[in-house]
Amino acid sequence: MMRKKATTWLYRLGFVLISIVVGLPLYYLVVTTFKTPEEAALSPLGLPSSLNFANYERALEAMNYGNALKNNLVITVSAVILLVVFASMAAYVISRSQSKLFKTMYNIFLVGLIIPFQIAIVPLYQIISGLNLMNTHTGVILVSVFCINLPLSIFLLRGFISTVPVELEEAAFLDGCGTFKTFWLVIFPLLKPIISTVVILNALAIWNDFLTPLLFLQSPDKAVLLQEVYKNVGPFSTNWTSFFPMLVLSVLPLVVFYIMMQKRVIEGVVAGSVKG
Amino acid sequence: MYGKKRERVFLLMILPAFVGFFILFIVPTLMSFFYSLTNWSVYNADLDFVGLANYKQLFSDTKTMASISNTVKYAVLITIFQNIVAILLAVFLNKKMKGANFTKSLVFLPAVLSILVTGFLFQYIMSSSDFGLFNRIIQFFGGQPINWLGDADLALYSVLITQVWQWSGWSMVIYIANLKSIDSALYEAADIDGAGSVRKFFTVTLPLLYPAVSFNILMSLIGGMKVFDVIFAMTKGGPGYATETIMTTMIREGFNSGRNAYASALAVVFFIVVFILSRIVIIFLNRWERKIS
Repeated sequence: MMRKKATTWLYRLGFVLISIVVGLPLYYLVVTTFKTPEEAALSPLGLPSSLNFANYERALEAMNYGNALKNNLVITVSAVILLVVFASMAAYVISRSQSKLFKTMYNIFLVGLIIPFQIAIVPLYQIISGLNLMNTHTGVILVSVFCINLPLSIFLLRGFISTVPVELEEAAFLDGCGTFKTFWLVIFPLLKPIISTVVILNALAIWNDFLTPLLFLQSPDKAVLLQEVYKNVGPFSTNWTSFFPMLVLSVLPLVVFYIMMQKRVIEGVVAGSVKG
Repeated sequence: MYGKKRERVFLLMILPAFVGFFILFIVPTLMSFFYSLTNWSVYNADLDFVGLANYKQLFSDTKTMASISNTVKYAVLITIFQNIVAILLAVFLNKKMKGANFTKSLVFLPAVLSILVTGFLFQYIMSSSDFGLFNRIIQFFGGQPINWLGDADLALYSVLITQVWQWSGWSMVIYIANLKSIDSALYEAADIDGAGSVRKFFTVTLPLLYPAVSFNILMSLIGGMKVFDVIFAMTKGGPGYATETIMTTMIREGFNSGRNAYASALAVVFFIVVFILSRIVIIFLNRWERKIS
């Protein structure tokens, strides 16, 4: 009995220590945003003397926050929708057809799981320029969808669709429902769990992607949050209490999303790790 | 029972994905291979074949070679550390106890931050100026300050620490899901055999974690090979070229210096290194799998 109690306390102590190691940098980030440089230098880990939002006001303005947030949303939401639509249709065809052609296409998609897309970026720059998509959100969206995230989405969806019984669509077919309609009306609604995984994994990856916007977006009005942060590093390098709010503001949307959807996010990460 | 029409509809359903993937992934990948054999650069109007000249140049360039060896070193080390930390956390936190769930959620949290932001944050935390948090803590306990990012022997490891901090939680939740699938009867049997907790870990837990281990190891290895954002934020490849990686070199040569053919050759080398390294790891994983089954 005594021993059990002691282990319980040992575990609790362990939880506290782990939380401190993981949480300290985050705590430091947040408390610093409310301080003046002098206050931060004097006591880096102390609580701020007052909740001073002046740093945030300056950061919102320097980052052009509303506009950058909008750009992030446009890119992430469009890319995720396109991924779900195109990948689910492709995965359905791959798992339902016996045709050699589609099996070959699937094998070609799988190449993208093994080869890092970074290998393609130098010529990709040329292709995007050639398509007149340089410095457009469309260009970034297309690269995110087709060059970076499509293979994994198809792979995950195909694995799930293979477990969906074919009887349902056979019944729909006998009722005279066409293939395309059958997919969207009968099959697609059954894919909810895996769609949720695909949406979460892709949304995290695309929202946090820095390289693609860095290469393909140049005008300030089209910049995403991370580009705004990057732009302000130099000018604010000596004034880190004004720079930290930019870090907080740029990660805030996803942190809020995570806190609200925690279970789903973790389920998504786990489901994404199941090998087919 | 389905006619030819179904296959035609199928073709229309798969084509958008395939055409997009072909144009934006397959074509530029093949172009990288092609350009690596040419003299393409922004200073060159005519494109000529130069054979393996770019590769020769690449292998004799100490800076580029350093970036390749840094990348391999980084990828191998992050794979080892991230997975050891994640397995320990998973075993420790996979408890039905007050506080365990909160700790798990907190440990995962850094994974939703962008890598760039983590890099900037730790650049300040590891700063050698007087506001650097790590050195303040070390000095508070009476230690000597460490030049985390300015010391060429240390910088790569400092960057590595930030990424272990950020990504261990991601691997951990995958390990925890795997742990939950282990039949508790196996532990009871081990208890009857009088196995201690360390032995139970090595004879029961670790072999049954094989699916998560193999997935996580390959993911952190390939992720580690692509390392870019965190270097870009923290060290820009410095000091000297102590933290220069394949990706930072490729971006600099291909976009800032305009040496496109050279960058393409590096891309091909990158592909080969990733391929060889993951092959080696897969061989080891398969051998381990045969041993435990």
